[in-house]
Amino acid sequence: MLDVRFAASSLPASGALALLVAEGAAPSGLWQAADSATGGAVSRAFATADFTGKEGTTCSLLAPGGGLTRIVAAGLGKPADLSERRLEDAGGSLAAALSRETSVALATDGISGPHAALVALGAVLRAYRFDLYRTKEKPEDKPKLATLNVLTTDAAAATAAWAKAAAVARGVFIARDLASEPPNILTPVEMSNRIEKLRDLGLGVEVLTPEDMEKLGFGALLGVAQGSVNPARTVIMSWNGGAKGEAPLAFIGKGVTFDTGGISIKPAAGMEDMKWDMAGAAAVTGLMAALAGRKAPVNAVGLVGLVENMPSGTAQRPGDVVKSYSGQTIEVLNTDAEGRLVLADVLWYCQEKFAPRFMVDLATLTGAIIISLGHEHAGLFSNDDELAAKLTAAGLASGERLWRMPMGREYDKQIKSDIADMKNIGGRPGGSITAAQFIARFVNDTKWAHLDIAGTAWSTKDLPIVPKGATGYGVRLLDRLVTDHFEA
Amino acid sequence: MLRVHLGTHLEGDWPLGIPVRAGAPPPEFVTAAAAEDFQGAPETVCDILGGARRVILLGVGDAPYETAMESAGAIAAAHTMRVSRLSLDLRGFHRREAIACMTGAVLRAWRYDKLRTKLPENPARLADLYAVTDDATLEARWARQLAVLEGVDFVRDLVTEPSNTLTPDGFTARLEDIAGDGLTLDVLRGDALRTAGLTGLLAVGGASMHPPALAVLRWRGGFDAPPVAFVGKGITFDTGGISIKPADGMWEMRADMAGAAACAGAMLALARRGSPAPAIAVLALAENAVGDAAYRPSDVLRHANGTTIEVVDTDAEGRLVLMDALGFAAREHPAAIIDLATLTGSVVTALGHHMAGVFSNDDALAACVASAGAAVGEPVWHLPIDESHRRALDSDIADLRHCSPERGQPDASQAAAFLREFVGDVPWAHLDIAGVENVAEADDRRAAGATGFGVRLLDRLVRDRFEDPDRN
Repeated sequence: MLDVRFAASSLPASGALALLVAEGAAPSGLWQAADSATGGAVSRAFATADFTGKEGTTCSLLAPGGGLTRIVAAGLGKPADLSERRLEDAGGSLAAALSRETSVALATDGISGPHAALVALGAVLRAYRFDLYRTKEKPEDKPKLATLNVLTTDAAAATAAWAKAAAVARGVFIARDLASEPPNILTPVEMSNRIEKLRDLGLGVEVLTPEDMEKLGFGALLGVAQGSVNPARTVIMSWNGGAKGEAPLAFIGKGVTFDTGGISIKPAAGMEDMKWDMAGAAAVTGLMAALAGRKAPVNAVGLVGLVENMPSGTAQRPGDVVKSYSGQTIEVLNTDAEGRLVLADVLWYCQEKFAPRFMVDLATLTGAIIISLGHEHAGLFSNDDELAAKLTAAGLASGERLWRMPMGREYDKQIKSDIADMKNIGGRPGGSITAAQFIARFVNDTKWAHLDIAGTAWSTKDLPIVPKGATGYGVRLLDRLVTDHFEA
Repeated sequence: MLRVHLGTHLEGDWPLGIPVRAGAPPPEFVTAAAAEDFQGAPETVCDILGGARRVILLGVGDAPYETAMESAGAIAAAHTMRVSRLSLDLRGFHRREAIACMTGAVLRAWRYDKLRTKLPENPARLADLYAVTDDATLEARWARQLAVLEGVDFVRDLVTEPSNTLTPDGFTARLEDIAGDGLTLDVLRGDALRTAGLTGLLAVGGASMHPPALAVLRWRGGFDAPPVAFVGKGITFDTGGISIKPADGMWEMRADMAGAAACAGAMLALARRGSPAPAIAVLALAENAVGDAAYRPSDVLRHANGTTIEVVDTDAEGRLVLMDALGFAAREHPAAIIDLATLTGSVVTALGHHMAGVFSNDDALAACVASAGAAVGEPVWHLPIDESHRRALDSDIADLRHCSPERGQPDASQAAAFLREFVGDVPWAHLDIAGVENVAEADDRRAAGATGFGVRLLDRLVRDRFEDPDRN
């Protein structure tokens, strides 16, 4: 992770300088200092490039003079419209434009300390790279950016804000790392082992093996796992930062470490994407690490159901009927609708064991949600309007946005089975909704929300604070939900 | 349509439906209800044969009753489709509830017999409904509701009529039948379409021997104000054009004019009930055929406002005829535009067959549309138009392309982003009604076939939002 430091505000004598420019705003002290140190190069470049500080734009000067190697300015847009989003996005754009530099001084003398920390967070999130398996990349092709010296007049406030932001960023990186790992490496057992290492942060970690789950009666989850040589795990993380004895918040993640579809096998094209069919579980893991990392004053549990969905002689078949931990029977008509089977047992277990204040599950659940909403919003389904409203607000605040989708009796009818309590598919029409209806049958009176993140867990292109690849979607959203509404 | 007779006394010996509140079966039927374990829950029924007349107890649960009453009326009709007459005992219910129950029966009893040449004599068909009421104010309110139901009926017939007779000209002929009494019709064809610059409509309709038309219905209303505008997609048959559809299910494309039909039905309802709100409906009528004059994928069209549009897939034709109709409507400076279209398969994947999608440039209008839909049992769900949906329409050679060439796209939202380009700053809501215009299989509550979706919603929206002369 990019090393972020906060220091007093003075123009560096060498290296690279990053500037933040608001539309129509008077130049800050460091901006003026840079302009005079370079003999007016900054002003000339802005004029030549027609750079006015509009949001989403940058202006880059190579070897501008004054001993500097590079100056990059990022636009913040109109001061009246300044938002957390724009500060983070500006930081992200700067990190992308300065990846050739090893160390960058970021001038933030025009904004507050906490805002400077947000710019740093944006830069850190954009500078992420999953680099474990490149063995022959030429040094000159590697991004070099390693240190960000944030020049601020408000170092104390910036440092305090950064401590929390850095913990969240680390959580995002855990989620991105896990989702990026290939499926031959990241099996259910391996993912479970990695989660166990988070005990170092103060998290409680308990692991259920197939034998444990057999005893409990996790028939739905184990049915999915039975086709693979890689045994399943359910992992329970707990963070007790709140009042002793207070019921926890609960987060549940779908963790299918690879999803072939099973006997209802998927087409070959694009199947490699199914390595990140555990992104929900990854987000829950990252979130729990973030809460522990910033010592959040809240009680929370994170549960992930980890399985691999493979076709084999031992795999479950379309037509099988399994008995879930709740006691309800499920006719499995499509083995590729497996995520809901995993969630069914883990959700029921969670509410039985913890009686949580609410449950939020995250799952790369349906392709239908991509056809419904695309990639800017994840789908939000809930049995509680207040929880849904808080989640929607947290989505806007964190930039990980949610769009509420409907549920109802008419949709629930689509999963009626002829021979069991329900079937695991409801057909193409309203496919994401019927999946949510299925999950809802494993939620009693607990307040619950289901986030279908199939469209937001992975990005096929660079975004301002998300490099192409695993997004870590959900960590910042849920951390924000906790911060804004559930901390003592 | 079912003939409805209001009376204060129970007549005849034909079947009688009695709505029953939770736990309150009529004393004389307590034994039968108990035998059937009938408690009066919504959508439950206890059909008692063997007495002097057949009695059907219809559960309506606990208040509020309106939705359950509509279902009860529908269930009564579903159970008596093969007798000629049905009574409903509505005494003791509020007129809103009584009307809901009668509405349910009328809608469920709909059938389309115009093309059958050998109607069976026996069993009979349900034709008359006798509503027994003790509320003297019911009749006037029912007259208003009847106007709306006539609008629905008109739409269902249009949507059902096959495409060899319901051509664009066939459609305008049906509109001529309802014009008059303050409802006026103008039709633009041929050169008039070219003069108006309706290039999308001309391109889509270009391959068919049945030429396209733009039909404009106007209702003068009772006060001077900008009208509310309805815009409808009226593809009388959609082969897909050069981007031809697979054969399976193509016959269903006769209903691809359901949006235009709903707009016309709503105008009929407003006129018949004498709504004070001025209204206009702009209907884009064309057949999307395969032919030597067909438009092609990669053609570039020029909208009347100058925007150039690259055609990607000729089967995404609805948005091309709508862009013209929307532009035409926007030039009338309406108070708002509501368009209805069986536009995308994507909305069916998103919302299934139980809700339509609404997209809007105005959150308040979208909320009004949603609440109107919920009130009349035509539910809609607000879906987003994101920046990325619009960006997916960036073209390499024109101002925009009309759909994304990639598969698995949020096409409903992208289509809405496309349409938004042509409404200027008029408050606008787009209803994607693909999936709710037809019911595949009949059940107790709904007849199979055309639903007439949209008429009741638009009528309610107008009633709630546009009938106040001092509205702003």
